[in-house]
Amino acid sequence: MLRFCRIGRLGACLGVLAVLLIAGSAPEPLHAQAPTLVRYWLWLDDPTEPMFDQLVKEFNATHPTIKVEYQLVPLSEYHDKLVTALAAGAGPDAGRFKDWWLGEFVKLNGLEPMANSVAKWPGRGDVIENLWNTGKITAAGPVYMLPHQFITFYLYYRRDWFAQAGLKPPATFEDFLAAARKLTDPAKNQYGFGLRGGAGGQDQWLAFMVAGGARMVDTQGKVIINSPEAVKVNQWYIELFRAHKVAPPSAPTDAYAQVLGAFQSGNTAMMAHHVGSSVLVTQKLGAANVGVLPIPAADPAKPATMATMSGNVVFAASKQKEAAFTFISWLSENAPMDKWSGSRQGQLPVLKSVSRLPRYSENVFFKVSLDGANYAIAWPPLPGVGYVSAQAWQANMQRALLGQIGSKDMLDEIAKALQR
Amino acid sequence: MTRRPVRRAWAALKLWVPLGAWLTFVLAPYAWMFITSIKPPNELYTKAVRYWPGQPTFEGYRLLLETTPFLTYMRNSGIVAVSTCAVALVVATAAAYCFSRIPFRGKGVMLFGFLVTQLFPSVLLVLPLFLIMRSLGILNTPPALILAHSTFAVPFSTWMLTGFFNAIPRELDEAATIDGCTRLQTFRYVLLPLSAPGVAAALTYIFIYSWNEFIYALTFTADLRARTLPVGLQTFMGEFIIRWDLLTAGGVITALPIVFFFMLVQRQLIAGLTAGAVKG
Amino acid sequence: MALPLFLLSPALALLVGIVAYPIGRAVWLSFHRLEILQPDLTRFVGLEHYQALLQDPVIRIALQNSVVWVVGVVVFQFLGGLVGAIILNRRFPGRAVVRGLALIPWATPSVLVALMWTWMLDGNYGLLNDLLVKAGILSRFQPWLAQPWSALPAVILADVWQGIPFFAVMLLAALQAIPEDLFEAAKIDGASAWRVFCHVTLPLLLPTILITTMLRMIWTANYMDLIMIMTGGGPGYSSLTVPLHAYYTAYKRLDFGYGATIAIVQVVILAAAIVLYLRQLRANEGMVQ
Repeated sequence: MLRFCRIGRLGACLGVLAVLLIAGSAPEPLHAQAPTLVRYWLWLDDPTEPMFDQLVKEFNATHPTIKVEYQLVPLSEYHDKLVTALAAGAGPDAGRFKDWWLGEFVKLNGLEPMANSVAKWPGRGDVIENLWNTGKITAAGPVYMLPHQFITFYLYYRRDWFAQAGLKPPATFEDFLAAARKLTDPAKNQYGFGLRGGAGGQDQWLAFMVAGGARMVDTQGKVIINSPEAVKVNQWYIELFRAHKVAPPSAPTDAYAQVLGAFQSGNTAMMAHHVGSSVLVTQKLGAANVGVLPIPAADPAKPATMATMSGNVVFAASKQKEAAFTFISWLSENAPMDKWSGSRQGQLPVLKSVSRLPRYSENVFFKVSLDGANYAIAWPPLPGVGYVSAQAWQANMQRALLGQIGSKDMLDEIAKALQR
Repeated sequence: MTRRPVRRAWAALKLWVPLGAWLTFVLAPYAWMFITSIKPPNELYTKAVRYWPGQPTFEGYRLLLETTPFLTYMRNSGIVAVSTCAVALVVATAAAYCFSRIPFRGKGVMLFGFLVTQLFPSVLLVLPLFLIMRSLGILNTPPALILAHSTFAVPFSTWMLTGFFNAIPRELDEAATIDGCTRLQTFRYVLLPLSAPGVAAALTYIFIYSWNEFIYALTFTADLRARTLPVGLQTFMGEFIIRWDLLTAGGVITALPIVFFFMLVQRQLIAGLTAGAVKG
Repeated sequence: MALPLFLLSPALALLVGIVAYPIGRAVWLSFHRLEILQPDLTRFVGLEHYQALLQDPVIRIALQNSVVWVVGVVVFQFLGGLVGAIILNRRFPGRAVVRGLALIPWATPSVLVALMWTWMLDGNYGLLNDLLVKAGILSRFQPWLAQPWSALPAVILADVWQGIPFFAVMLLAALQAIPEDLFEAAKIDGASAWRVFCHVTLPLLLPTILITTMLRMIWTANYMDLIMIMTGGGPGYSSLTVPLHAYYTAYKRLDFGYGATIAIVQVVILAAAIVLYLRQLRANEGMVQ
């Protein structure tokens, strides 16, 4: 009897508690729906920063006919959740978007072409001209993604270590390798270059590939990433780890956190990344000890690096396309862009007028990055890029780094995956 | 005379050495998470591993509680976990009693069928489940997660409870029946008290599963109205900024309600209960 | 028949109402090529996906890894949990607190378990490497997660850690249910602790052991949160398990039909294993009549 009471009581308590909690959290009644509702999805680097929330409040206050509601989704799950929601017919009207996914989503007819809206958008002339291509499938075709924030890859190096070793900052592949070798000392757990073979490493890799003269596609859009030239550059990249051992032994699975951590802790002398990490790196190592350079090139006369665009899209299934475009184009206007780029999660502004502001043009990290924008190359808008950047590159790069397959095999696999 | 203290010391050693070793393994990573959470950001990455921060700080905890909706996530997790416990436990107890004590045709197949529903990776069930939740109109509300979690918790806890019920000798039921107990009374006064440890274990299982479940919580929730802890924590991992301070502080705090919950449950249900009950 | 139906109906309603459709759809998908955003264009492809399995070099690796993963995880979780349950069943001051603390690994969200273990196993500044080098066991830091031979075991270690309290709690509950008179009787007969364990404790725990290990096997087979964060299945395919392969195929290659097919392979294998296991269980008298 007594025993039962105890269990019964616990069960009853649970039930009552559940009911109370649910009742307490019932959603409030909605207000009269005068303004058009735009549902917007995004990921943020640091959700504790109120920057975006303020932007939305400002937009809603200045656009009484539109009400933006946003949903914050962690980047690592963003693509998958988007696919699920869109497939169920419950996707957002607009969202932040990566160029990685552009080809895939256009092929699925998931994105709204924005040619007409863009033509009417007054801000269009201010966008750095060649960045429009990151949002298109063909140069003459419509814009699917409105450029917003982008990055170009550059090279961080430990200025103090270079000075100590009497090394000059490298401009070519040879200088780079020589410096990396000189600064590698496995006994001290110190390596020349933080090579990223794990998740997300494809951008860093592609920066070196294009700087070495390889290209993803030719002018007709044909995939040539497995061409003999590309195989050679890729071989060079693989040998950094395999033959010259200038990268930490953990390189095959090192992702962003590990590569950044190793550079911050003084385990590596150089790291390829972009403005997204400049504050973290300088805070930890001191501005004087961190130098920044364009990605070294095989031929210094032909510099190249890679650019990645985070833009905004309107989804084809949206019933509020016009209002959605009003919001995303507002994000790409002068003041909101400056607010975003100048925040903790800021990347390079795509507007010429904003990039000329002193806070960007006088910041060495932004400056090297913006210079890189002139010759930067982005992922081609092929349907397979999403898959390549999410898994195929990683698996095959790692197999190559471990010596399980050769440079050519790896690139063949990637070429195959790109053209899916 | 001298043998007693030696034996007592030996007994203590036999208890505390294995206990210490086991606890060290179980707690060390958590302790490391705690140490990480009180490191100021500039002490996070150091070439020589730092075992204790030079300047410990609880700033991460302050920021977590003051600048993030962590407590709302926690409230949502609490709602979902407690409700799932309530729903799943009632449903599973009824089913388990049936499987354990009532002979009927097709029992084996049905028990097996319960398990078959659990063989698919949930990540592939998410999309159709999403459609169901949407047609029920419960997306972005706790009931969506309660329902989704129950589909997992019920088969598992049914199996567990069936096992615990089966372990109780049938003779006790028969004795109760002879004494004039109805089926319900037998269940109440014989089976349930005796299987209390099992019920507590199943309860713990359901609670923890629901508290930490990620993929359904991610897909079926949109904002603070229903978003739970694991999804909230994941947002601290940005594209280029990983908020180790918030993540580790959040991880340390997230585990605590469960520890507390279990201390409560084990005291209520387990301690010293069975010996007396069997004799009685 | 009325009573069982009444008692089972809530559970059946839940399972049939909520789970049957997704599972049916997964089976249906395995015979179709799904156009995810244009369902009208989805077409029947017969056994195409099943034939593709035969040409998929990755599925074989994934199956091997899955077996190592499930067996490695469950065996060590069980052993660790059994030891824990026995220890926590003894009387000592502060037992309630220790029992609560023992739950911590299980109570820690997977994302943090994965991040903390990744950090501790790190090849450049990891705690584990530092300890092993200081203890003189290793001469140099090892990149545990980047070597094909050690990546899967390293993730298994993390999962073993996370899952030990599960077994500890389940087995502790089962130990509690054993009447103490039995131990007393055995002790009076002069049996050693080891003999009591083998001849009294273990047989009485066996039903619980069999059921919990089976449930844990099912759970572990589909559990991929840790692998996804710690190695992403790498290096190469060294730690890629079947559900992870299915997930990548479905959500990253957007080939939901083939992804479902891969999952079904695992379902069939698991189902077969369970049937065998249940037979064994029945032979061990009494769990399922």
